Amino acid sequence: MNEIIASLRRAPYQTLSAFLVLFFTLFLSIILFISVSFLHGTLSYLETRPQVTAYFQTTTPEADIFKVRDELNQSGKVLSIRYISQSEAFKIYREMNKDNPLLLEMVTSDILPSSLEIYATKPTFLPEIAEFLGRQGGIDEVQFQKDILDRLLTLTGIVRQGSLIFFLYLFGMSVVVLTTTTLFKIALKKEEIELLRLIGATNSYIRRPYIIEGLLMGAAASTVSFLIIMAVILYANPFLTSYLRGIPSLSVNMIFFDFAVWPLNPIFFAATYLLSLAFGSGIAIISSYLATNKYLKV
Amino acid sequence: MIKFDKVTKKFPLGNIALQDVSFEIDDNEFVFLVGPSGAGKTTILKLILKEMTPTSGSVLIDDFDVTAKDFNKTIELRRNVGIVFQDFKILQDKNIFENVAVGLKVVGASGGEIKTKVREVLKMVGLEEKEKVFPVQLSAGELQRVAIARAIIGNRKILLADEPTGNLDPKTSWEVMRIFKKLEGVKTIIIATHNTDIVNSFKKRVLVLKDGKLVKDQRKGGYEL
Repeated sequence: MNEIIASLRRAPYQTLSAFLVLFFTLFLSIILFISVSFLHGTLSYLETRPQVTAYFQTTTPEADIFKVRDELNQSGKVLSIRYISQSEAFKIYREMNKDNPLLLEMVTSDILPSSLEIYATKPTFLPEIAEFLGRQGGIDEVQFQKDILDRLLTLTGIVRQGSLIFFLYLFGMSVVVLTTTTLFKIALKKEEIELLRLIGATNSYIRRPYIIEGLLMGAAASTVSFLIIMAVILYANPFLTSYLRGIPSLSVNMIFFDFAVWPLNPIFFAATYLLSLAFGSGIAIISSYLATNKYLKV
Repeated sequence: MIKFDKVTKKFPLGNIALQDVSFEIDDNEFVFLVGPSGAGKTTILKLILKEMTPTSGSVLIDDFDVTAKDFNKTIELRRNVGIVFQDFKILQDKNIFENVAVGLKVVGASGGEIKTKVREVLKMVGLEEKEKVFPVQLSAGELQRVAIARAIIGNRKILLADEPTGNLDPKTSWEVMRIFKKLEGVKTIIIATHNTDIVNSFKKRVLVLKDGKLVKDQRKGGYEL
């Protein structure tokens, strides 16, 4: 370890440039990751928001409406259904138009339809639900916001793909720059590597110090980036709380786990830190491996 | 045993370093390789160390043919061969102890073993007082002794030396050669040199090379330019 620290100190400009490249990449990656997680959580939340609203004829008996509601509940495609009776609809109407007495005078609860507001478990079920409702008797109109839903799904896909491409770009760029930086450093140790080869050192023995150096840099860069971003997020917490008011929680699915990203959750941040460590270490290991390869032909 | 059988080494630009060279060296034999510059002495050492492979013919070190592309066997071969370079190749950023220890570290020796054995060989080459000194503080003769210590540590069976006295004054050259003399009969020793005085006084086997050809193989020989 002493030798590795000495090696880092002996080439301060190369160490600094490697650190800055890793820091820049990891800083951007962590920001991107947290932003994408929040966005993804928000989109997942919004995906469950679009609703189908079925307005019943005023003559439709309540029993028939409940029958439709029960059938939908049994389908497994519905997250929740809210029944709004004529009297409740009138209450809402009155609340919405409380500043307009003329409109209040003209309307009674008899002319407002009862309705079912349906929240699907997945947005892809909404057209099916709408079609089912269309087949039922006693329904005057079925509304569902297909265009908004489609745009939301497209946006989710673009954000996911865009993030992946940007991550790959950052990864590739860092590997190229770090390989070049490490090559400069190794060129200074060319004679030592040559000697080690001739006295029987294995490739892994020769590579080890460079890979450990890279790992140290990756760990340092990801820790510094993470701490800075954490400080910013904690500072911004009151603004976020105000901005996201009304959204009880946001969660994101990461391969095998569901992480709550909002309200701020230590497990999500621990996972972010571990991922950034893995990302930084991956870049460092690959760069060191590629750089040493040039001098390790037997 | 080291066996060269009709070995030819041509370089890509066409110059011939060795031509149809055959000889055998027994275990623990002491051999001088002599000849003018460009005769092929260093090429022979490089072939033994598998730093290069012959264009034709075969080089056998015990049972291992250096033309074989076997990574693990190559590592094993190199762990059995110590080499002393004319320009010492001492690592400037490591002290003398660390420079010698490199020879054991690469074979995965433990810390305790490294300490004991490095001190043993440093004592043998007369540098036991200087283990913490850095190369820049040593004379050329002392540096060459460090290189020898590094080459002999770890029970390496073969010791190659490429012009070990080439950069040394006559007195220091003799001091260095006395170390090789101490190892006679313990290891196979092959020394490439120009130094006629040393070769003649040692009265050991001499392989004389000229223009890449082996022109004389003399037991207990001498050497004249």
